[in-house]
Amino acid sequence: MQTAKRPNYLFVFIALAGFTLIETLVSYVQQAAIKLPTLIVLSVVKAVLVLLYFMHLKFDSKLFSYLFIAGCVLVIPLILAMVLIMPVITP
Amino acid sequence: MSEMQASSPAPIAEHENTKLAMWVFLGGEVVFFVSLILLIIFTRLTHSDYEAQFRSHLSIPVIALNTFVLVTSSYFVVRALEAISFKDDRKALRNNLIMVIVLGFLFLAGQAFEWTSLFGEGVNLASTYGSPFFTVTGIHGTHVFVGILWAIYLMFGHRRMPFTKENHLGIENFGLYWHFVDIVWIVLFTVIYLI
Repeated sequence: MQTAKRPNYLFVFIALAGFTLIETLVSYVQQAAIKLPTLIVLSVVKAVLVLLYFMHLKFDSKLFSYLFIAGCVLVIPLILAMVLIMPVITP
Repeated sequence: MSEMQASSPAPIAEHENTKLAMWVFLGGEVVFFVSLILLIIFTRLTHSDYEAQFRSHLSIPVIALNTFVLVTSSYFVVRALEAISFKDDRKALRNNLIMVIVLGFLFLAGQAFEWTSLFGEGVNLASTYGSPFFTVTGIHGTHVFVGILWAIYLMFGHRRMPFTKENHLGIENFGLYWHFVDIVWIVLFTVIYLI
């Protein structure tokens, strides 16, 4: 972490707590068309906030970001395999 | 050759090698946990009775509270890092690590409460949804427990060579691990409990 840059950790924490509350309330919504995309977007936003600010990817060497992204890229074949297998085993 | 090496820009500082190793480890953990999350998604998509057989047994408010506990623990980790890296304040570092340990145990207690309730309602390792659920949340809980042990080590095992403003990479690496475990829970919370 470069010590010259200091993110506002309290602001990030409040955002994470607030999003968690919103997620919990949205989970009781019955319409899947609203519920599903909202929950996925909020979950991704929370994960990115933690990565960028708590884990300092926004301020650190890009190499660390690439390593994390590499892990995410490596799971694409797994997801594709699941998508391909699904129609075969689903009754 | 040596001149070329000297003139080429280093992507990271030499003293940050352990941080590089931590990010390599976390890249591997991404693959590991996504595989487990896919197991849950796969089970849900190939069966139509998730809501009746499993989700109805889950207590969303309790787990939301547990999620808040883990997110709060992440905040105390960055406060611990800030205390040592900006203020060189070892007392604040220790106090924040104590909070992380307490909140970590509180999270595990919440998980134990949930597991006990599920067992009581007949959801067990042999059931269709119980098997992937207990596997994934159990492995995640084990990661939290390892993180707690790591935090305890940082508090008591580093007395001979205490952390300073200049030497705090051990705290930073622990923070990376703990925040990653937090991210995994953020995803699990959505996939298992909310959707």
